Amino acid sequence: MLKRAGGITRRTVLQSASVVLAAPAAVRGVVAADPIKIGMPCAVTGAAGSVGTQMRRACEFWAKQVNTKGGLLGGRQIQLLFEDTGGNPATCVRKAQEMVERDGVRILTAIVASNEALATVPKLAEWDAIFVSGDNGDGRLTGESLVPNFFRPNVSGPMGTRVVALWLRDSPLKAFYGIGMDYAWGHNSMDVFEQEVKKSGRTFLGAVYSPIGTKDFSTYITKIRQSGADGVYLVLSGDDYNAFLTQAKQYRLGDKMQMLTEIADELVLQATGDASLGLIGSSRYPNSLDNPKSKEFVAAWKAEYGKEPWMFEGDQYQSCMVLQAGIEKAGSVETAKLRAALEGLQIDSIKGPITIRACDHQGEQPGFAVKVEKGPDGKPRPNVIASYPASKVTPACKQMTYTD
Amino acid sequence: MDLLGFLVTQCLNAFSQAALLFFLGVGLTLIFGIMRIVNFAHGTFYMLGAFIGFTTGRITGSFWMALIVAPVVAGAIGAAFELGLLRRLYKRDASAFLMVTFGLTLVLEELIRLTWGVQPLEVPVPDLFSGIVFLFDEPFPIYRLFLAGAGVVVAIAIWQFLERTRLGLLIRATSQNAEMVHALGVDVNMVRSAIFGIGCGLAALGGVLAAPLVTASLGMAANAIIDAFVIVIIGGMGSFLGSLIAAVLVAFVQVFGNYYFPDFALAAMYMLMLLVLVIRPGGLLGKEA
Repeated sequence: MLKRAGGITRRTVLQSASVVLAAPAAVRGVVAADPIKIGMPCAVTGAAGSVGTQMRRACEFWAKQVNTKGGLLGGRQIQLLFEDTGGNPATCVRKAQEMVERDGVRILTAIVASNEALATVPKLAEWDAIFVSGDNGDGRLTGESLVPNFFRPNVSGPMGTRVVALWLRDSPLKAFYGIGMDYAWGHNSMDVFEQEVKKSGRTFLGAVYSPIGTKDFSTYITKIRQSGADGVYLVLSGDDYNAFLTQAKQYRLGDKMQMLTEIADELVLQATGDASLGLIGSSRYPNSLDNPKSKEFVAAWKAEYGKEPWMFEGDQYQSCMVLQAGIEKAGSVETAKLRAALEGLQIDSIKGPITIRACDHQGEQPGFAVKVEKGPDGKPRPNVIASYPASKVTPACKQMTYTD
Repeated sequence: MDLLGFLVTQCLNAFSQAALLFFLGVGLTLIFGIMRIVNFAHGTFYMLGAFIGFTTGRITGSFWMALIVAPVVAGAIGAAFELGLLRRLYKRDASAFLMVTFGLTLVLEELIRLTWGVQPLEVPVPDLFSGIVFLFDEPFPIYRLFLAGAGVVVAIAIWQFLERTRLGLLIRATSQNAEMVHALGVDVNMVRSAIFGIGCGLAALGGVLAAPLVTASLGMAANAIIDAFVIVIIGGMGSFLGSLIAAVLVAFVQVFGNYYFPDFALAAMYMLMLLVLVIRPGGLLGKEA
């Protein structure tokens, strides 16, 4: 008696459970409403954690926007899968592989560091996955290390330096000195800058390199002051950059010469406050851009988070827009179809019209030179002082340098 | 700028850095002297000081309050940690202390991340010291002069504390022969808690003072712990005066080394350490190892 009752109960439970499970699909009238999975092996801790945090937020914002409007491809929701890599390339590859093999992810984005991206791209063919970069700057990703399943809708490192170089040609500055971090990025960027200075007929007086983790910049600031330059180019990042700007202000370096840098974004402004005033650099996305898409984006972002979107949030959001347009154009998330759709894709982005060119998968887009000035609220903010068209900013296919 | 001006400003730069290095190293060396353990969490207390200082400064609007609150809070956490955890481990070998203090760095760092977020935070120079003075026609930040002065004041205070107070006497006695002090009826455990708290508090004081130069950020700890170890090794483990001399030496080598041999900037400090170890394996004022 008891036994039979138990059997009936179990069967009843199973039946009702299957009814409940089937209900949402039946209600929506969609059979294949499985979500579109997007993997984010994204460093939110470690040296690049503050950039990764911005990128993750931009993806979440985009996914929420898409999902409230009913998803993509006739009702498929976006499902973001997130894992922290800590900025370690080996961890990044492992986490990405787990997402691909365990969760069936075929689209990746929001990998923060370029060395993580460089470690990941050789695996894309094997995983049959597409990786849409949201911030990776290393020129090689669309050059010697280019793979068919990699796309870069964002601004690359060489493009950022190029913007500063273009600004330089119209500037009254004549002699330059540089300070860079003592590793590959610092030396490479300084070499590019030196070439650009010479091409524009100005003088490059020399450069000094500080070890990663330098805390006291007083000696370097003395050297820069003594150089007699009227402009100094900074290739510094993270804590070193913040420490330099803070101390440069204390030594009134900005009164003596113009400080230039590859990237001037809100992150630095928050950490250094007034010490960043007067700094001129490039911005991948200044949120003051005067076009309808950008205004719409900024307004929606403010409504969601109560503050303006920052530079890396904007650039990652643009990559999400590109991915969305690609999926819609392909009518599918199959890797081959999505790749074909992304090649040559044109969209009206928050930076204006941009094209993902087919030859090296780099997004052709305008560049912006910004100067840090006091905003209406008394806080420093990057204001656009010059814009350059995509044709001037984007290097030739698979190239990292510029001939003119 | 003539040579004299250059030398004067660079020496002042070096002394301001020496002060920061001294705050970092002296706590570590005092803890080692008494307890014979290496406090791996020392850099994290330095970082904690910067963050607590940031918040105290925000709330009270006073840099001086930050200078008091941060070391007191960090010192209390350090003392509580000694009471609650380290005390149970004195019978174990040194690796137990490395593990448990390393564990503390992980816990504290995560707590700092959860409390203050991942973004570096701007810590303004107090208004009183935000100006510049002109030395030989070159601007020099008053804050750096203040740092050098603070280093001198704190060094004298610690010296007087060790020489003149009863607790200072017990600390010196315990470092020489803990069993004898214990046999004379002194609660050695109390001395250990106190010195651990004081050491952590001094690191936090260094963090508060360094923050206006480098911002309060999560990277501070990893950098600081290496510097602290170098100071302790050069000065001699457990030697107060040794850490003071080592801080000044390292600061001068860094400042002048960076200027004349920028390519060897990173190596300069370690070359000094190697040189000292070759000549005096126990450090400048340490007992022979």
